[in-house]
Amino acid sequence: MSNSAGTPREITRRQMLRRIGLTALVAGPAASMLSACATSGGNSAASPTATAGGAATSAANPFGVAADAPLEVVIFKGGLGDSYATDVHEPLYKKEFPKASVKHVATQQIAQTLQPRFASGDVPDFIANSGSDLMDNGALQTEGQLLDLTQLFDAPSLDDPSKKVRDTLIPGTVESGLIAGKPYILNYVSSGYGLWYNGKLFQEKGWTPPKTFDEFKTLCETIKKAGITPYAYAGKNASYYQYWMILITAAKIEGNQLLIDIDNLEDGVWNRDSVKQSAAAWAEIGKFMDKSYEGLIHTEVQTRQNQDKVALYPSGSWLENEQKSNTPDTFEYAVTPTPSLTPSDKMPFEAIRSAAGEPYIIPSKGKNTAGALEYARIMLSKEGAKGFTEKSGSLTVVVGAAEGLSLSPGLKSINDAQTAAGANIVTYSSFENWYKELETELRKQTNSLMFGRITAEEFCAKMQKKADAVKADSSTTKQNRTV
Amino acid sequence: MMATQTDAVRVAKASHAASRRRQKNPTGVFGALSHIALIVWTILVVGPILWTFLASFKTNPEIVGDAPLALPDNFSWASWGRAWEKAHIGRYMLNTVFVVGVSTLFTMLFGSMAAYVLARYRFFGNRAIYYLFVSGLSFPVFLALVPLFFVVRNLGLIDTHIGVILVYIAYSLPFTVFFLTAFFKTLPNSVAEAAMMDGASHTRTFFQIMVPMARPGLISITIFNILGQWNQYLLPIVLLSGSVEDKWLITQGIANINTTAGYEADWPGLFAALSMAIIPMLIVYIIFQRQIQSGLTAGAVK
Amino acid sequence: MRQGDGGLAARLVSARARKYGFIFSFLAIPLILYVVFVISPYAQAFYISLTNWRGISANPQFIGFENFTRLLDDDVFWAAVRHHGLLLLAMPLITIAIALFFSFLLNLGGGSRGGRMTGVRGSRFYRVVYFFPQVLAVAVVGVLFQAIYRPDQTGVLNGLLKWVGVNPVGWLINTDLALWSIMGVVVWQSVGFYVVLFSAGMSAIPSDVFEAAALDGAGRFRLFFSITLPLIWDTIQVGWVYLGIAAFDCFALVQVLSVDRGGPDNATTVLPLEIWRTAFTFSKFGYASAMGVALFFLTITFAALSLRVTRRERIEL
Repeated sequence: MSNSAGTPREITRRQMLRRIGLTALVAGPAASMLSACATSGGNSAASPTATAGGAATSAANPFGVAADAPLEVVIFKGGLGDSYATDVHEPLYKKEFPKASVKHVATQQIAQTLQPRFASGDVPDFIANSGSDLMDNGALQTEGQLLDLTQLFDAPSLDDPSKKVRDTLIPGTVESGLIAGKPYILNYVSSGYGLWYNGKLFQEKGWTPPKTFDEFKTLCETIKKAGITPYAYAGKNASYYQYWMILITAAKIEGNQLLIDIDNLEDGVWNRDSVKQSAAAWAEIGKFMDKSYEGLIHTEVQTRQNQDKVALYPSGSWLENEQKSNTPDTFEYAVTPTPSLTPSDKMPFEAIRSAAGEPYIIPSKGKNTAGALEYARIMLSKEGAKGFTEKSGSLTVVVGAAEGLSLSPGLKSINDAQTAAGANIVTYSSFENWYKELETELRKQTNSLMFGRITAEEFCAKMQKKADAVKADSSTTKQNRTV
Repeated sequence: MMATQTDAVRVAKASHAASRRRQKNPTGVFGALSHIALIVWTILVVGPILWTFLASFKTNPEIVGDAPLALPDNFSWASWGRAWEKAHIGRYMLNTVFVVGVSTLFTMLFGSMAAYVLARYRFFGNRAIYYLFVSGLSFPVFLALVPLFFVVRNLGLIDTHIGVILVYIAYSLPFTVFFLTAFFKTLPNSVAEAAMMDGASHTRTFFQIMVPMARPGLISITIFNILGQWNQYLLPIVLLSGSVEDKWLITQGIANINTTAGYEADWPGLFAALSMAIIPMLIVYIIFQRQIQSGLTAGAVK
Repeated sequence: MRQGDGGLAARLVSARARKYGFIFSFLAIPLILYVVFVISPYAQAFYISLTNWRGISANPQFIGFENFTRLLDDDVFWAAVRHHGLLLLAMPLITIAIALFFSFLLNLGGGSRGGRMTGVRGSRFYRVVYFFPQVLAVAVVGVLFQAIYRPDQTGVLNGLLKWVGVNPVGWLINTDLALWSIMGVVVWQSVGFYVVLFSAGMSAIPSDVFEAAALDGAGRFRLFFSITLPLIWDTIQVGWVYLGIAAFDCFALVQVLSVDRGGPDNATTVLPLEIWRTAFTFSKFGYASAMGVALFFLTITFAALSLRVTRRERIEL
């Protein structure tokens, strides 16, 4: 549930237009612009990874899938459910290869289920590597367990064979899955992140979402007087929702390069002013939270928000769907970007975090890697992506795939926010996948900071210490990214 | 069992000797206080279990709401249906009964065989083997998880109940051997020696004389093993992967529905599943509580 | 132990052969199972602790004792060790104290009747009910206490406190309280078992001992402290060893109950949890195995010490 759509630092106006079209549903014209400037860098000759279970390749069967080769698909069954696989993608695959059997495995303990299988070489063909027990993709790649997806992104799109798959995706999608410079991860879901609230409640009370942290604090006072907890997140299992907010604010102050520097373990990056200022500002907001929220899990806090006991909640665009069965008629999801902190912020208030998330991987030692690539290509077709959005309530990285679907209030709100943000996009953080130890420490220290046990300075110092330790740890392979 | 019998004899004797003498009645402040303490603990024990049952009938807002102790507005069985269907509690329960039943049986058979030999025969390597078994008591299971997976997989037993059963037996042996060895040592020699004199084989002596004599200890350790294996949480996660969901055991089912409830916010369903896991255990326990308690104590006190 | 009467050499030989054949046939299967499924994985784990294996590749690199020297500087590791120390001291003490108190009431609290000490009224009922938590799976108990310990008014315990006008307590979020709360669950679950265990010990005390004491006019406190306690001391020591070994686990409860798995601020973390996280989240199986080896030596030290102190080998030898 992390990661995000990579955005090149300098976004052109055209790219910006494209992004608007893409993350959302407009699409038609944007798609045609795409072919003009392929993100490329994908010189497929550089990585001719042989596929297993192969038959002869052809235009219709670019990976050479053997028609009767069985395919094993492991799906993380979390907020997105797994019906998108059982009811959409797997039937589509079977339609293409009626003789092939598809084995579907749904689990919430990805690591526990799969770690031993990787170690033994008996791996499934396709994996949704998600959830709180996901496997360390960096470690998998280091051990040569992941298939380079360049050939997937360079294959012809199912919808329009004249186009490569990569050109049908939101820009940055391929980049967000780079490890050591090559795309090993398919981040499939397009998510927008911000502060979510009940639009109806805010309208009724006459509250407006804050544009600056000063306004934020004033609003919190007002909300508190109304007997509602102004802001909360779930400390027990979802403190990462909060550290996203801290990182977004820091990135708004200093510019998106900060996130890249954090991923690259730049010396002293956690002690930069932007991080300190952001941490201090959020710690102030933390004072409006009841201590008890540290002991609650995300669905508990979210259900409280549905009952109008919590006003603002940090999360991503999957939230509305996750809470579907608990949302009363009086509740209508809306989202606002994180407030600005200083007048000299590099990014405007409208800047929003937009990211491709939900990593899917193909093990390099699978028995039917060709089938897995084809399965991924099906996911990246419009039909596959549209079915996914219908079943999971989340948008995909496939441009225009949600065309014709009616938008729920929350999706419409995030869509509007992304339109308003334009090129001002805060991107993903790769350290979440690359360095789980750093990520675990950040969760821990975020709770300490937000619940008032440490100061912003201490927060920065502790994070820097851990970052230094990870950097010095010879057993952890270091990754690097420039975009 | 033996203990209860001798107790009975002793009581009979005592009451003969002491006729019907009655001492000062222990009511008063102490009696009242002790009853209060006992009742408070009863509430502490029963309360949470009862609350689980009630919560399974509540709605989400009622559970997450401000009155955790209130009764549900109306009793709906919908959550039970959901839990039964989605969590497959019934199947997991049957799986667990099968696995734990078979593995406990063989744990006791193999464990008592090994313990008997180690306790009553002198041979080269006896102590070494004994300590090898006993050292297993202090190994943390985690340490073995990943290598264990390979061992089981190389035998082709991963994702099978046989694999789980064999592993359960192996991991129950240290405890079983440790206590049964001690137990066999306390049994008198004379009966076994007499049998051997009469020409009974070692094997016959064991099964026909020693096992019946050791019954209290065997029952007690059987109960320990059933409880321990029933509650096992880590081993099944590793040995029965997500690809064989129909073979899962009850603890996996519970852990799974706990996570699912987290993602789908279906708390009543979670508590219904919990109730389904609790009720059969309580019923079995209440039916057999006399045997379980006397069995436990007979072995443990020795 | 004795091998027949041994007149003829041939008979002796065949008796010996039969004896060793018997020993072999009885030991073979258990030993093979044990070595294959328990010893060999552990032996591998000891080797892995000397490598930087990341759990995936087939080529772990031997790095000697580096993992162990790193342990010395690992704050989280030491926090976990400290927690085991606290659990080791407090958990058995509390459990045994409560269990002793109840088993005394249930067995001897009723005074003597017909020359025999009896428990208070309803003691059978209590003994049955107190054992309930013992039959519940740890996974079930963990999930259950999640609702009981919930930190705001919606928690069962805090709901009770509200009735008496006490503000909600952060059972699992207060860093000073969290570990005790988790310990409370263990105590809640185990008291019933030790009540049964100690009851057995008490019922084995000859009744004339109590009779004599009663004739001397001994009160309940003297009855408990000068007679009951010394006479069931052996049973208590057995209980202490069980509970001590349990204090090195607590994995499932901490994982389900604690904030951020082991938090807040490492306040509840235990070694099994750190091993789990290091292995399965950080993919550092070498380092995790080193922690496992450390845990192994801690447990075995405790077991050896307590066996020595309680002189349990007197019973087994």
